[in-house]
Amino acid sequence: MMRVRSDFHPLLRFFVYAMMILFTLLTIAPLIWLILSSFKTTTEFQLNRIGWPQNPTFFNYTSAWKLGKFGTLFLNSLFFTIASTLAIIFLAVSAGFAFAKIRSKATPILHGSFVIGILLTIQSIMVPLFLLVNAVGLYNTRTGVLIPYIGMGMPMAVYLCTEFIKGIPDSVVESARIDGASYLKILQAIIWPMTRPVAVTLAILNIAGVWNEFMLINILVSSESLRTLPVGILRFSSALSSDYGRQFAALVIGMLPMVIFYLVFRNQITKGVSAGAIKG
Amino acid sequence: MKRKMLGAEEKRAYWLLVLPGVLIYWAVVAFPTIFSLVLSLTNYNGGPLFGAKLDFVGFTHYARMFKDQYFWISLKNNIYIMLISLFGQIPLGFLFAYVIHRRLVKQRDFFQTMIYLPSVISTIVIGILWQSFFSPYGPFTELMQKFIPNWENELFYDPKKAILPVLFVILWMYTGTYLIIFLANLQKIDPALIEAARIDGASEWQVLTRIILPCLSGVILTTAILAISGSLKSFDLVFAMTAGNPARRTSVLSLYMYDNAFRGAPNYPRANAISVFMVVLSLILIWIVRLTESRFGGRE
Repeated sequence: MMRVRSDFHPLLRFFVYAMMILFTLLTIAPLIWLILSSFKTTTEFQLNRIGWPQNPTFFNYTSAWKLGKFGTLFLNSLFFTIASTLAIIFLAVSAGFAFAKIRSKATPILHGSFVIGILLTIQSIMVPLFLLVNAVGLYNTRTGVLIPYIGMGMPMAVYLCTEFIKGIPDSVVESARIDGASYLKILQAIIWPMTRPVAVTLAILNIAGVWNEFMLINILVSSESLRTLPVGILRFSSALSSDYGRQFAALVIGMLPMVIFYLVFRNQITKGVSAGAIKG
Repeated sequence: MKRKMLGAEEKRAYWLLVLPGVLIYWAVVAFPTIFSLVLSLTNYNGGPLFGAKLDFVGFTHYARMFKDQYFWISLKNNIYIMLISLFGQIPLGFLFAYVIHRRLVKQRDFFQTMIYLPSVISTIVIGILWQSFFSPYGPFTELMQKFIPNWENELFYDPKKAILPVLFVILWMYTGTYLIIFLANLQKIDPALIEAARIDGASEWQVLTRIILPCLSGVILTTAILAISGSLKSFDLVFAMTAGNPARRTSVLSLYMYDNAFRGAPNYPRANAISVFMVVLSLILIWIVRLTESRFGGRE
């Protein structure tokens, strides 16, 4: 079964291979170039832009790490990613359970508002959101970043949770009701453990989204101590735009965590992405 | 009496579960949307907001926005991005998914991993990386000069061509997402259906056009929705790669809004007008796609 099929025209096969190899090369070549360049000093890079490093050095990395305050950037990225992911899962499973299993006249409006939000891009409200965060005095605070991150992740999360919990038979909830369990008890004891698969999907989608988020945190935060990796890297590389070696090292540092995350959780990510691509 | 108490518990539980999520979401998404609609009609340009006296000026800011050439440049670039998504990423993503699913190549896992890899890396890193790659000092220039010795790298200086590298990177970055979506849905099609058709003598081309494409019509529509709404999202990449330059020729709507609010003297009313324009645009696009969906029954 796993054999490659042989009943295709060789020319077609050649064309298909060529396209795939081209795309693969386009991914690998710039990354290898980046990694090789990050081990060259800037002086060497200016003489030798493509080749193998003559005197590979780690200096770029240690110096970029210190100068760019990457320790702080990492901790902040970790904080926002973990906190928003946990909050989104908790809030979305709760709301999804209510939407799916408790009858209410409010559901079409409330649930509908989340569904609209799936396709409303957060980019289109960046400035009003900034003005609002400013007006309520949350500019340049952790809360002022965290709340938008949670709100932004809710539409997709609520949608996926509601659909998932709808798939749990009503009889599970009803029999627990007959035994006298409250809805909160049912959520905690029955639904919560059953929603693990969807929680994993939500976590994957949100971790990738928040870890790489740049647009909002760039305008909502000004002090260095609150910056995350994407902001830090951009500031660092525009400040040192001609110091190629260190800039490339910074890019590698910024890229590595997500590449590792992807290679480790490849299958779950693939599943999460296709689950996230629901029909509007 | 018991029923009524149960009803009350049910209601309490419902609101307790739903409200926190709804409130945060509305505060972050719904409220700013309305808020920008109001502010775009006023002269509010900073300062304390609550309790401030707002000066309503009607649609002045919209009129000015529509007269601004940079608005049209940005909109045009958003449309280019939408077109490259619809007619570049989606067909390529489908082709790759099809080839992988039908086992036309070896090393399928490897290809899939590599083609999707760019979309997990931070857009900022990608933007800076490709900017250095295409820059006059980067390897692209050196490679080109091996073939054409006198080649001058004007990619980021020629206002007419500067958007091309950005479009290329967008194509490169997100094709993998569509590959994954199509692959997941191809795997849902019953292989027995295809086997049966093959036994009855259908060619690969007939299998593709008569069985696979009709089965995927819903997914194709979904990807189109994603591509259209996604094209309004582009901000980070342009910000990191060109910052809108040269001469704002690579700006997009979100960057145009950013520029009005944060570059130079702030013009919040204009920024709010752009925001409203973008929200309305995406609602119209969603509505159009919904309409096509109900017309053609494009659901799976």
